[in-house]
Amino acid sequence: MTGLSYTLREAFTNISRNGLVVLGAVLAVFVSLTLTFGTLVLGEVVRINTLQWAEDVRVSAYIRDDVSPSGIASMQAEMESWSEVDEVFFMSRTEALAEARVLLANRPAALRVIEDDPSIVPPSLRIKPVDPEDYQTIVTRAEAMPGLLKVESAAEAIDGMISLRDGLQIMTLFLAVALGIAAVALIANTIHMAIYSRREEIEIMNLVGASNWFVRTPFLLEGAFEGFVGAGLAVLVVVGGIRIASNQLTDLPDFVNIAIQSDYIVRNGALVLIFGVVAGLVGSGLSLTVHKYLRT
Amino acid sequence: MLRLENVTKVYDGGVVAVKDVSLDINKGEFVFLVGPSGSGKSTLIRLMMRDDLPTNGDIWIAGKHASDLSPWKVPQLRRSIGTVFQDFKLLPNKTVYENVAFAMEVTGKPRSAINSQVPQVLKLVGLSAMADRPPRSLSGGEQQRVSIARAFVNRPLILLADEPTGNLDPATSVGIMRILDHINRTGTTVVMATHDHAIVDAMRRRVVQLDRGRVMRDESRGVYGSSSVVEEPEEPVDLAVTDDDGTTNPASAETVLDTDENPAEGTPDDKVTSEPTELAATGDAG
Repeated sequence: MTGLSYTLREAFTNISRNGLVVLGAVLAVFVSLTLTFGTLVLGEVVRINTLQWAEDVRVSAYIRDDVSPSGIASMQAEMESWSEVDEVFFMSRTEALAEARVLLANRPAALRVIEDDPSIVPPSLRIKPVDPEDYQTIVTRAEAMPGLLKVESAAEAIDGMISLRDGLQIMTLFLAVALGIAAVALIANTIHMAIYSRREEIEIMNLVGASNWFVRTPFLLEGAFEGFVGAGLAVLVVVGGIRIASNQLTDLPDFVNIAIQSDYIVRNGALVLIFGVVAGLVGSGLSLTVHKYLRT
Repeated sequence: MLRLENVTKVYDGGVVAVKDVSLDINKGEFVFLVGPSGSGKSTLIRLMMRDDLPTNGDIWIAGKHASDLSPWKVPQLRRSIGTVFQDFKLLPNKTVYENVAFAMEVTGKPRSAINSQVPQVLKLVGLSAMADRPPRSLSGGEQQRVSIARAFVNRPLILLADEPTGNLDPATSVGIMRILDHINRTGTTVVMATHDHAIVDAMRRRVVQLDRGRVMRDESRGVYGSSSVVEEPEEPVDLAVTDDDGTTNPASAETVLDTDENPAEGTPDDKVTSEPTELAATGDAG
């Protein structure tokens, strides 16, 4: 197998010969993919947390005092028939008071107002949407029903969460694309220089009839290797970063969860590595396609 | 072996380098392409190695139609063509041995074949003693012999040489011609572009004279200029089979290659200095 050993030897000879340029390309891939992977992980943290919060998204429909229990039951049944609605449960005045006591524990003045006149805490139907983003439809439909005082939801909080999540997703995508292009371009440049520095050998290989793959494979291997090393460093740094973050940030509020599923890391880490290798192959492939010393 | 039919090559910008050239070169022939700079010699060599394609006309190289050959099959064709250039094209970071072995390595030859063939070819060109030296420590003539060894190590059917003696003095050139003649005698077709009068006149092989891209003359056992201008030598000088003492050695090509008493072995540059008297009789090389 002189062919294979030659190919590997040439790929690594070149890496050692152009050490600084190769280092530059590896660092570029590393920085690009660290940012991309880091943003991905950050997006996942936000997604996990919005999921948790979304679990708690409720639309509250407060019921007028003059509605009979059977009237409430039929309203509940109607709401449950809506496709946007996951479940509806009834919260009596007594339960509402108990909840208010918990929620207003730190605000004795407000609590005293309620205790003085429990009638201002009406019974309500608590509606859980199938998709938190549909809360506005539920509010509109509920408002059209008779027998309700008021329909409320944590509208602004939900909108804020959703736009943060969407914004992060768009940013991740944009970063991934922009930095991916940069990584490919930098590898292409490295390989371009590698081809240039070996143009005499390539010319002779073409003269004596080395096959096209024989001439090109060392460069493709070199690009793939550089992409892989850069991506590997990025994965190490991000995984290390998550470890440190989850060890250090122990005094976060309870509702913020930074525990990321390890299979998410493994799956996306593997994706980042594959992306690094593909970026390397595409970069060197681009160089090989445009380079004048390789025309036959 | 090489067949050109009405070949015209026009470069970008409209320069006509070769115009309506038809040539038929048989297996085992030795052909000189002669003519002044710009007459189309190098273009013909490049067309014959399929480094370039003709604008019009057809070229068959070792039975393959050049224009119809897919680019992916060009490497396979190149393995049957050896090429030698004026500027040697040796790799400076490899030794003489490695430069020759390179042609076998990159065409996927087994290590055992490389180990047996390279020393044999280095012996043929008389450089066995210099195998481990870098090319820059060699004289021009020695470097050109390395490049011939590299071109021949894969035993091509055709050897194309573009001004192989262009950078060398007449004495050194004789050594180069001696080796090319050996190679020709193994059955390899040799096509050599040159404007070296002395060599062409001394060898008395087929001469194709070009002028502004056209074939002006195609003559077997020809000389550089037209016969009326250049005084013909009494006897054609056969460089390859003339030993030091001037006796003619009618050995066949195979025995020349295999014998230990290879005429090119040893210190050929010293040897050839004794011979230019024969060349001097045929006229000035410049």
